[in-house]
Amino acid sequence: MKSKQIKIALRNCGHIDPEDIADYISKDGYAALGKCLSGSREKVVEIMKMSGLRGRGGGGFPTGKKWELAAAVPGEKKYVICNADEGDPGAFMDRSVLEGDPHSVLEAMAVCGYAIGADEGYIYIRAEYPLAIKRLKIAMAQAREAGLLGKNILGTGFNFDIGLKYGAGAFVCGEETALIKSMEGNRGEPVMKPPYPAQKGYMGKPTNVNNVETFANIPAIINNGSEWFSSIGTEGSKGTKVFALAGKVKNVGLVEVPMGTSLRELIYDIGGGILNGKKFKAAQTGGPSGGCLTMKHLDTPIDYECLKQAGSMMGSGGLIVMDEDDCMVAVAQFYLDFTVEESCGKCVPCREGNKVLYQILNKITHGKGEVEDLKKLKDFSEVIKSASLCGLGQTSPNPVLSTLNNFYDEYLEHVTEKKCRSKHCRALIKYIIIPEKCVGCGACKRACPAEAISGEVKKVHLIDQEKCIKCGACYQKCKFNSIIIE
Amino acid sequence: MKAIKSIGDLKTLTEKLKIKSSADKKKVQICIAMATCSIASGSGKVMEFFKEEMPKQPFEFMIRSTGCMGLCHSEPTVEVTLPDSDPVVFGKVDVKRARSIIEDYIKTGKTIDGVIEGN
Repeated sequence: MKSKQIKIALRNCGHIDPEDIADYISKDGYAALGKCLSGSREKVVEIMKMSGLRGRGGGGFPTGKKWELAAAVPGEKKYVICNADEGDPGAFMDRSVLEGDPHSVLEAMAVCGYAIGADEGYIYIRAEYPLAIKRLKIAMAQAREAGLLGKNILGTGFNFDIGLKYGAGAFVCGEETALIKSMEGNRGEPVMKPPYPAQKGYMGKPTNVNNVETFANIPAIINNGSEWFSSIGTEGSKGTKVFALAGKVKNVGLVEVPMGTSLRELIYDIGGGILNGKKFKAAQTGGPSGGCLTMKHLDTPIDYECLKQAGSMMGSGGLIVMDEDDCMVAVAQFYLDFTVEESCGKCVPCREGNKVLYQILNKITHGKGEVEDLKKLKDFSEVIKSASLCGLGQTSPNPVLSTLNNFYDEYLEHVTEKKCRSKHCRALIKYIIIPEKCVGCGACKRACPAEAISGEVKKVHLIDQEKCIKCGACYQKCKFNSIIIE
Repeated sequence: MKAIKSIGDLKTLTEKLKIKSSADKKKVQICIAMATCSIASGSGKVMEFFKEEMPKQPFEFMIRSTGCMGLCHSEPTVEVTLPDSDPVVFGKVDVKRARSIIEDYIKTGKTIDGVIEGN
């Protein structure tokens, strides 16, 4: 069932003790660092370029290219940063790697330091990950003691050490320029690129930022060779991707599959299908910056290009599965609520635009939407996308646009018929007692907090729609299935 | 761990550790997932139980606290590898199932409930 998985980034997770460096070394840990240190810096960059590895944080920028750029910038002082500011709702790939195999990230950062000519690295991690922080601290101390971090690593004269920087859990700090600002002690606000961090990053010095999962792949690539890695995956997307499979799927969990695996394989073969025998409706990838994939995308191979073509994106690997009970307008509203909360407020399109999007969506889910609102949603989305400063704003309307594209009928039903087919939007549903089925037990009447139900014992009860607050208490209490939602 | 002075020393150490871990294959190996999610679903108690019960058993063993096995749907998860056998992963392990793992699976090799197939 899970044989379709290939574990590269997660190769050691669940198999070694993350708090024991000997366990990691017994799995060829730090061999990649040793291998790199015995060759030239250029060779390391070359291997990374040949491997075809692309950034796993969401952007998908070729890692080798990024390293090459940082290596080419002249400078005595450079930095390596590991972006562990995982913030997509429902995503937990980075936490698992850091908690299960912290040394692989440390080793890869040292490899990167050697390749680009940096002697200092930082892991920017959110303070909400206390166990990951604890294990990283243990791993760093053990690596220093073993001479695998610090001065004169393995007697080669290469110096590299790593420190931790804590984030307060702001989504925008996953954007690399905002992350650097936050590390410098400033507000976590993005700045215009260029200059890119490779030219002018942390403390104004050339800086290379990679995501946790990207780093976790690197020791395996060095040990097994770039050809091995590039033989896995698709033309433009090499290797594997870790997904946090969540939502209405039977086997919720962390999976790693080769690029090019279809959504169907992921949800049905690995995930075991949809919960409670319900029908698949959509899967959200890329979190608040992504979009949804629908029935027609079930056989699309998952890689950077195909997801983009389908109107979504790879993102960091959160994959939330939705079934027929999920209302797509409400889903868009959920993500916009998140974006409004997480927007740093620096640029107007993102700060104000997303608020307007949220308000329109709120109107629609409350049965007060009009047909013109659908056009407004689209127009505002386009403006926010094109005029926002950073990746957060440029992608924040994606959940709206993607649900509008794929589920326009549902939006239209909400505004014209004031109907929510998933029976999710409270303002648009009614609880009704079927007279033929009601035995007059009075359980619903007693459960109703709004005193909206009338009826005498052993006689048919009635719900006053004016008074009903749609809490569903009566629905849950009724033992005779005589209350329906319409 | 003593400082490793050269790339050659690292290679020697890796070989030594590999020999040790293949020697460990003669023991009953128990890996208990101890990631945030595992601990939240109760793996701490399972760990305590194995640590308390295993020393009373007549066979050699090792208990390893690992990271997440990716099987969120079945946490807490425990992987048991009997000497010279393939690993078997048990899901939704509480103290009761942990006892059954020791009494039934490890001691007599019986199949018991809670095995996660195809992992």
